[in-house]
Amino acid sequence: MAHSVDTDQLMGDKVTTAALSADSTARRHVGRLDLSTPLFLLLATVLCVLVLLPLFWLGYYSLTTKSGSPTLANFVRLFNDATIRRAFLIALSMALSVGLFSCLVATPLAWLVARTDMPGQRFVRSLVTASFVTPPFLGAIAWAMLAAPNSGILNNIYRWAFGLDQSQALFNIYTFTGLVFAVTCYSFPFVFTLVANAFDKVPSDLEEASAILGGKPGTTLRRVTLPMVLPAMLAGSLVAIVQAFTMFGSPAILALPAGFHVITTKIWSFFQFPPKLDLAAASAVPLLIVTMLLLWGQRWLLGRRGYTVLGGKSGTPRRVKLGNWKWLAGAYVLLILCVTILFPYLALLKVALTHNISEPLSWNSLTLHNFHFVLFEFSSTRLAIWNTLILGLSTATIATGIALVVAYLVARRAAPGAAFLGVLATAPIAIPGIVLGVGLFLAYANPTFGLYGTLWILLIAFLTIELPAGYQQLSSAFHGVHPELEEASRILGATRLKTLWQITAPLLRTSLIAAWCFVFIGTIRELSATVLLTTAQTKLVSVIIYDLNESGDYGAIAVLGLLLLVVSFTVVFIANRVPVLGGAPPRSGG
Amino acid sequence: MAFVELDKLTKRYGQLTVVKEVDLAIEKGKLVCLLGPSGCGKTTTLRLVAGFVQPSDGQIRVGGRVVSSPKASEPPEARNMSMIFQSYALWPHMTVFENVAYGLRLRRLGKADIQTKASRILQATKLESLAERYPGELSGGQQQRVSLARALVIEPETLLLDEPLSNLDANLREEMRFEIRRLHDEFRYTTVYVTHDQTEAMTAADVIVVMNQGNVEQAGSPEDIYERPRSEFVAQFIGGANIFKGKRVGTDTVDCGNGLVLRCGSGDYAASGQMAVSVRHHDLHLTNEKPSGDLANWTSGKVLRQVYLGSHRDYLVSLSGGETVRAIAPVNVAIPENQQVWLHCPPDRCRALAH
Repeated sequence: MAHSVDTDQLMGDKVTTAALSADSTARRHVGRLDLSTPLFLLLATVLCVLVLLPLFWLGYYSLTTKSGSPTLANFVRLFNDATIRRAFLIALSMALSVGLFSCLVATPLAWLVARTDMPGQRFVRSLVTASFVTPPFLGAIAWAMLAAPNSGILNNIYRWAFGLDQSQALFNIYTFTGLVFAVTCYSFPFVFTLVANAFDKVPSDLEEASAILGGKPGTTLRRVTLPMVLPAMLAGSLVAIVQAFTMFGSPAILALPAGFHVITTKIWSFFQFPPKLDLAAASAVPLLIVTMLLLWGQRWLLGRRGYTVLGGKSGTPRRVKLGNWKWLAGAYVLLILCVTILFPYLALLKVALTHNISEPLSWNSLTLHNFHFVLFEFSSTRLAIWNTLILGLSTATIATGIALVVAYLVARRAAPGAAFLGVLATAPIAIPGIVLGVGLFLAYANPTFGLYGTLWILLIAFLTIELPAGYQQLSSAFHGVHPELEEASRILGATRLKTLWQITAPLLRTSLIAAWCFVFIGTIRELSATVLLTTAQTKLVSVIIYDLNESGDYGAIAVLGLLLLVVSFTVVFIANRVPVLGGAPPRSGG
Repeated sequence: MAFVELDKLTKRYGQLTVVKEVDLAIEKGKLVCLLGPSGCGKTTTLRLVAGFVQPSDGQIRVGGRVVSSPKASEPPEARNMSMIFQSYALWPHMTVFENVAYGLRLRRLGKADIQTKASRILQATKLESLAERYPGELSGGQQQRVSLARALVIEPETLLLDEPLSNLDANLREEMRFEIRRLHDEFRYTTVYVTHDQTEAMTAADVIVVMNQGNVEQAGSPEDIYERPRSEFVAQFIGGANIFKGKRVGTDTVDCGNGLVLRCGSGDYAASGQMAVSVRHHDLHLTNEKPSGDLANWTSGKVLRQVYLGSHRDYLVSLSGGETVRAIAPVNVAIPENQQVWLHCPPDRCRALAH
């Protein structure tokens, strides 16, 4: 049935309709090309190359002999080699201990900061974020400066205070315990952030319901509040475990001198002369699988949306009055901040400003010698700083660009199969840096590409590693932009790309800059993939620091480390100030 | 030939068909309202016209050319349409003037041209003093007017409105209803207006299209739709009505059971089987005196509930057959609850519904 309406007017309108139709046909030919499909295909190809190609070569090398016929011999060798098994087990137990201690340290801290009347909560939160910014390998080196058995500053102070001779030492960082300690210092913020957020979100009326039924504060905390943040605690611990398990820098710095390997350092050792690439590829596979399982577990925990995430805030959270306990709480917070931030940073400063690590600090011993050496004498640092800067800027820009377009295509379902792009862009999160390093080496160091020894292979590595961070940031930002804002632009005559450029990008400006900064900081501190892919011509600051550690040149390390920290903090600072710098003040949408 | 034509337009999402073979022809310069409850497919139909959604079947023609079909669809930007969104969709990072000028800039107009056109529309929508403000600094009504100005300034061939008033408070909504109609009379764009509000549709529309579950139930002038509903759904959704189910027993008589026989003044009759009769709430006359003489179009029942509303009384009456009907009576007809009442449905107020 046709619902033709007002047919009596039909004749009168016919003429104008025809005229208009001709008019609009003409307008249709003005060059308006919708690029979303070619763009989609291009991105899909780029992401496949970035993510799947190295994994393919990893699998290929681990499952073939040198002549290319399929074999399981590599895995058999892997399994029968006691040193590899041992490295794997040590890595696992190290990671689990780190997860456990991170949780034990971070949960009380998160509770104090989120649910009590302890003063200085914002300050503590931002300081914990600061230990996030510290590259873990730098933290490990700083702790080696503090707690090495002979030269460690803390041991020197201990011997000086008690008049003991050189053979006595209070701490020894070059042990399994020392390694767990140093890694925990820079992994617990993962747990802290998640748990503090969860504490923020526990609705106060749930606790009030327990109180009105007669629950004392302690009972309420134990029976109501803690169970609700339990998923966040577990999820955070899993992230810490994954970080520790896949970490290369800190174990290489602390475990190798102590005479034991973890799996990442073992893989690295297969790259030393004579290289055993097939064995490296094979040992990377279990590392990859365990990482994927752990992350899957973490997603499952958070994805259940059990209790805390649901519903969000209802009323401001109730704050427990600490009373006289606040002194104990303050001491606890101070201890954590000293151990993770204050002591290591002071150690770096002290070492940077004196000739010798064990030299007592006085006005006369202060020197800028190390700065002069690093910046003007030591030839490879200037190249490394330059390389780091180029790679940091280009990785941040390209990765943010790709992440923006992928997040757009996924969030707006702009092309069929767009969700697949999102999966590809998130996948590298489950690929440990060293595994990716092996894969990229196998994929691009061959004569076909010949990229080994160029900055390109590092750029590819960093793009792959940092893409998930940028993508997650931007994809959550897209949820804050109402699709109608974009549709309004389309219906007024703008193409998809023009809309993305003129409407969406400006609205996402804050998130874009934040994503850019994230990627930049992540890039300049990357070590685990870099260490396999770098050569003398493509040294980066992180690798130089690692090399200098092997030669024991602490003064130069301290200077470079401080440089890295200053740049990172500057970027974070600028990122936080962006709404002010960016011109128009932030406004609520219409 | 109508200007905008929907031809067997169908949209499916998986198993779910949200728009079912909708046929509709909209004359140039008319304002057509798509009216229906939420989930009836009216917004999807509008988004199909705009080009944000591609049809699964059928096609859309504008001025004779096919703009949407399952094979190929013109993107929204090529349709020379404008749209006003439920959320207004004002860009928070642009001033009022920049928002309005955006469409003109896309058309590569000269600076002077943009300035004149934008100023003229800002004047027409009483916004000239707010041109340099940001949307976040405006009230809801002002934001609504900016969104109107932005849509009108490009002189679109077709204007689309997606529940434009649902975010305003009651007073503003009434004012903007007339404003939209006034601007339409001034500019005479072919307009498709989506709403679930009957009053909005009646105020603004030349033609109302009532939709339900993806189908067009009825299309016609506001008077047509209200006075001559053709289905139970339309009768109940527009203005509200009591529906009596029954069987046709004479040329214009329907037996609704339990002694209720209704003679109908108008409507369509089913050839055989079940049909229905609709009577508007205020067309049911109540009395507590037993009628004498011809009992056609009379029935009796018991007052379940009676509410005094100042201008009238609202009754809920349980009929002897078990159904419950609603009646609106003058204040002076005051019958207490649980009392027996007699109801009269005048034949010229009974409308037969074939389905």
